[in-house]
Amino acid sequence: MNPLKLVVCAKQVPDPEGPADAFRVDPEAKKVIPVGIPPVINPFDENALEAALRIKNQIGAKITVLSMGEKLAQPVLRKALAAGADELILLMDQHFKDLDSSSTAYVLSSSIRKLGPFDIILTGRQAGDWDFGVTGLLVAEMLQIPVINLARKVEIKNGSVLIEKLCDGGYEVVKANMPLVVTVSSELGELRYISLRALQAYSKTPVKIFNAMDLELDLQRMTHRTICNLLAFQGERQCKFAEGETAQDKAENLVGLMKRDGII
Amino acid sequence: MESKFCENGRIFVLVEREGLTIAPITFELLGMGKRIATQLKGILCAVTIGHEVADISNKITHFVDEVYSIDHPLFKSFKPELYISTLEQLYQYVNPEVVLIGCTLNNLDLAPRLAYRMGVSVITDCVQLAVEPETGHLLCTKPVFGGKITSIFKLMKKPYIVTLRPKAVEPIGTGSATGKIIDVDPVIDESTVKVEMIEKISEEAVSLDRAKAIVAGGRGVKNAEGLGQLRELVEVLKKYFGKVELGASRPLVDAHLVPSSRQIGLTGEKVAPELYIAVGISGSLQHLTGVLGAKKIVAINTDTKANIFKVSDYGVIGNFEEVVPALKKKLDEL
Repeated sequence: MNPLKLVVCAKQVPDPEGPADAFRVDPEAKKVIPVGIPPVINPFDENALEAALRIKNQIGAKITVLSMGEKLAQPVLRKALAAGADELILLMDQHFKDLDSSSTAYVLSSSIRKLGPFDIILTGRQAGDWDFGVTGLLVAEMLQIPVINLARKVEIKNGSVLIEKLCDGGYEVVKANMPLVVTVSSELGELRYISLRALQAYSKTPVKIFNAMDLELDLQRMTHRTICNLLAFQGERQCKFAEGETAQDKAENLVGLMKRDGII
Repeated sequence: MESKFCENGRIFVLVEREGLTIAPITFELLGMGKRIATQLKGILCAVTIGHEVADISNKITHFVDEVYSIDHPLFKSFKPELYISTLEQLYQYVNPEVVLIGCTLNNLDLAPRLAYRMGVSVITDCVQLAVEPETGHLLCTKPVFGGKITSIFKLMKKPYIVTLRPKAVEPIGTGSATGKIIDVDPVIDESTVKVEMIEKISEEAVSLDRAKAIVAGGRGVKNAEGLGQLRELVEVLKKYFGKVELGASRPLVDAHLVPSSRQIGLTGEKVAPELYIAVGISGSLQHLTGVLGAKKIVAINTDTKANIFKVSDYGVIGNFEEVVPALKKKLDEL
């Protein structure tokens, strides 16, 4: 049997772990401007890459990482190669700027059709920027193949894909045949550790770059989110600190404050 | 593409169940649906889908004008393919203006695919909805960038399909409506089910959304022993709050110390208790987005610069292993 062909769709996003004040809002342009934080691979897409790497370790596979955007930072995405992916393909075009979920899924599914066939398409459950959680599902709809959402474990067994997926009230063990799309949740586990040396080793590996014309995309189908307003974070509260020498004093003061304010 | 609202247009709520009872999110969806229906002079409708849902459909008639009841043994468990194609058939037929869906784990799968098949976009995880008076478009407020920013998106093509975050809006009041039940008999094609369910593993049933107080642990609570101290605090707080639960931020769940049913944050539960005590939680925004609805937030953390203090009402700087037992003792004595 030929080794499985896996594709991981990975988005470049401003580091979601960055502090709130690193995300400025331009209310006129209705844009979010990250300040002083680096771009990273969307953490949920890293979980998806980890799922692919575990399959590769289990039975062998060729992993292609696809990333799409207007401008992509190669050093950021090369991390996927250092982690064990075999190939990195960038889909870059000025027309890919700020696309909505369905246009993103259109670009990805068209590319997958052109570059494939692939056995399993993996991606994160949602992206750490707009948090829609739609793209992976729509890629499956557009390719008309099954999709399993919110995987926490992915294994190959007797030629089928066996998946544990989150569901209301717990999780389900489900089985499906390939080809299929799997969206991965953080419960699967973080992307394995990558040493600086490994990162450097892949700093010159060639990557393929395709634009909209290479992919024969219909530019009429590129649509954008309609944003009316953006508001910066507003959840801040005035924190009263319970002071004291010892933990006992602090606890006593905390209880005192809460009692005074009628909470207990 | 753009179109005004029709009078007598239908506003649909997808009823969520927990076994044979109606899940709380349903009443929140109905509350939002009613406000929209009033504004638009529309008809408030609900869909129940499942097996032996007659009781639930009957109860829902007290809140809406029409209940579309879809009852079939195949709907006993959630099968996305069948649910999606059934709802698609219904909505193609009744032509709704608005479709409100609860943002539950199952519906994360259902809503985007349903919207795609209806030829429209979906806005997921909304916390507020409003109709733009001059255009009739739907304005959808949604936290983005892990809760660091709030965005208002506009939907302009009907049906407007959204998922609504639990605990974000006021539930509907007592029901005095006398809606009618309409039985729906969809075409069900089992051959479209390509995913075989082998086993469902239920984790301990937790209703974080109904807790009056929550004690939540984060990365700083490293092990089962630390969690034990938090559980003791939970017990003591019951004296004051009745229903109190243990929660956790993502690191403890990803480390399998706490089941995902107790996870609070962007990809977990969103909660709005009277009191939220965050222990050893640094306060990454993806966690905070799940707790901003809490009336009062207490943070216990060793790091004076932790983000969590910025959104807390009360803070204690210290080692939780000392502060939590002291707090427990103090509350016990009171």
